[in-house]
Amino acid sequence: MDLRISNYFDRSNKVYINVNNKKIEAYEGECLALVLFVNNIKKLRLSPKKKQNRGMFCLMGSCQECVVLIDDKKVISCNIFIKDGMKIKVGDFDK
Amino acid sequence: MINNKKYDVIVIGAGPSGVSSAVNCAKKGLKVLIVDLNSNSGGQIYRAPPKTYKSISKKLEENEIQKKLSEEIKKFKIETAYNHTVWQVSPGFKVNAFNETSTIQWQSKSLIIATGTYEKIIPFEGWTIPGVIGLAACTVILKAHHFIPSKKIILAGNGPLLMLVAYYVIKFGGKIDAIIDTSSKKDWIKSTFSLMTNPKNFRDGIKWVFKIFLNRIPVYSNSTIEKAFEVDEGINVKIRNLKTGKAKNIISETIAIGHGLIPSTDITRLLRAEHIYDEQKGGWIAKVDRFLRSSVNGVYLAGDGAGISGALAASDKGLLASWALLYDEKIISQKDFNQNTYKILKKLDKYEVFAKAISQLNFTPKKLIENIDNNTVICRCEDVTKSEILTAVDRGARDINQIKSWTRLGMGPCQGRTCQYAVSKIVAEYLNCEIDNLGYLTGRSPIRPVPLDKVLGDFDYEKITKVEAAPL
Repeated sequence: MDLRISNYFDRSNKVYINVNNKKIEAYEGECLALVLFVNNIKKLRLSPKKKQNRGMFCLMGSCQECVVLIDDKKVISCNIFIKDGMKIKVGDFDK
Repeated sequence: MINNKKYDVIVIGAGPSGVSSAVNCAKKGLKVLIVDLNSNSGGQIYRAPPKTYKSISKKLEENEIQKKLSEEIKKFKIETAYNHTVWQVSPGFKVNAFNETSTIQWQSKSLIIATGTYEKIIPFEGWTIPGVIGLAACTVILKAHHFIPSKKIILAGNGPLLMLVAYYVIKFGGKIDAIIDTSSKKDWIKSTFSLMTNPKNFRDGIKWVFKIFLNRIPVYSNSTIEKAFEVDEGINVKIRNLKTGKAKNIISETIAIGHGLIPSTDITRLLRAEHIYDEQKGGWIAKVDRFLRSSVNGVYLAGDGAGISGALAASDKGLLASWALLYDEKIISQKDFNQNTYKILKKLDKYEVFAKAISQLNFTPKKLIENIDNNTVICRCEDVTKSEILTAVDRGARDINQIKSWTRLGMGPCQGRTCQYAVSKIVAEYLNCEIDNLGYLTGRSPIRPVPLDKVLGDFDYEKITKVEAAPL
């Protein structure tokens, strides 16, 4: 089931992003955190002490939970718009 | 990079209040800059869809309001700095921000802080599981990004956001497994008359409730999520009725939770403005006068950041703050000031009745706090549990900053935005004291994590001026 609502807007070009070496289809300009979430990639990083899985939470740039690595740099993914060929790493990247 | 561009006013936040204050200042000839973390105006309530989305025939009301805000900004040629995260504000005023590529500093004589709110969430065991998200996050997913969060969802918490999110999830074809509300049906009925003072929002509310009723969504009143844990099919949620004590388990894919909104005080705390605790207005808020002047000269508050009163009041609050600024800067006369603010103040009084009713629906019951398991992580950034917090209190910590020093809570990337409210409630409940007595987290920069490479920028090592070593 595609969870996109298409009643109000047409998406832009279909593109592919690379998440932990897996190809994921998305549309250019979509919110990265959300595309990962609806593709069931919910575990984005580990918490510092207890090493619990953490993922997208507030979606407005406040909680800082949705951090991923893009080109080896830490960014909060709720604030990232998808570009073709983006290379993303999720999971235990703090090692 | 130091840009040192100077403005008369910098407005931080491009939601409805930020835009109305910026426009009013620009109309009177002031040089205005409006800064926002997002890629467009609208704030969270009217958050704009991504720029790549192309509008087709059908329109969503919120998206249309956002477009009007954008047009206003263009019409009055207001300078904008979208996609800029403010990480420090210092007296004078110097505003430091960064975007995707670099950092920048602007200066201004006055500041209008229109940074709105973030979501209030009372923790439960398992709230850190990926797949548990905020209710406000859901509104952004549905109305700005145009997605359904997941095939199946449980909505929990309290207040109107529960009903609003439920309405849109159903409308767009998602399935709601349960709505879990800490308020009772009686609380909702009691608030009806006050809510009617705002007919537009009241009508919306009726529309939401009808949709929930017609679609026979199970609603658990007086109830909360006590615990959540991962299972193969998704997340297993234990619902506890706070009145009868009855428990029930339901499995769903995603949990959305929210207990109201908290005014953002990051910047006013940094500027050492005075703050007061007002439960009805959302917790700690910057102390303001009737015209939204803070205790720091030249700093004004607009919108929900000065206490929750809702989206409809936000643009009026923006106007009020800007009139105060224009008067203080001697741009308008006392007579103009009185005339312009009189009507706004009257209108705002009316909105307060509505805001009060909403805040009662977002009331945090004592039981909800007591019910949090001791092993629950409260500070998500630093993994600090309820029992670690209470241990610090047992050992004598009586101020939230002391608890911070001892446990590291609030020291992480979110700087306590997510946990401060819950921590205060937990400790006040434990000590049986007022939250005022515990104080608030002292503002520390950076208020948002700022990447060091952006602060440094590009440079050649050869070009760095070498300072001679001090003689031994």
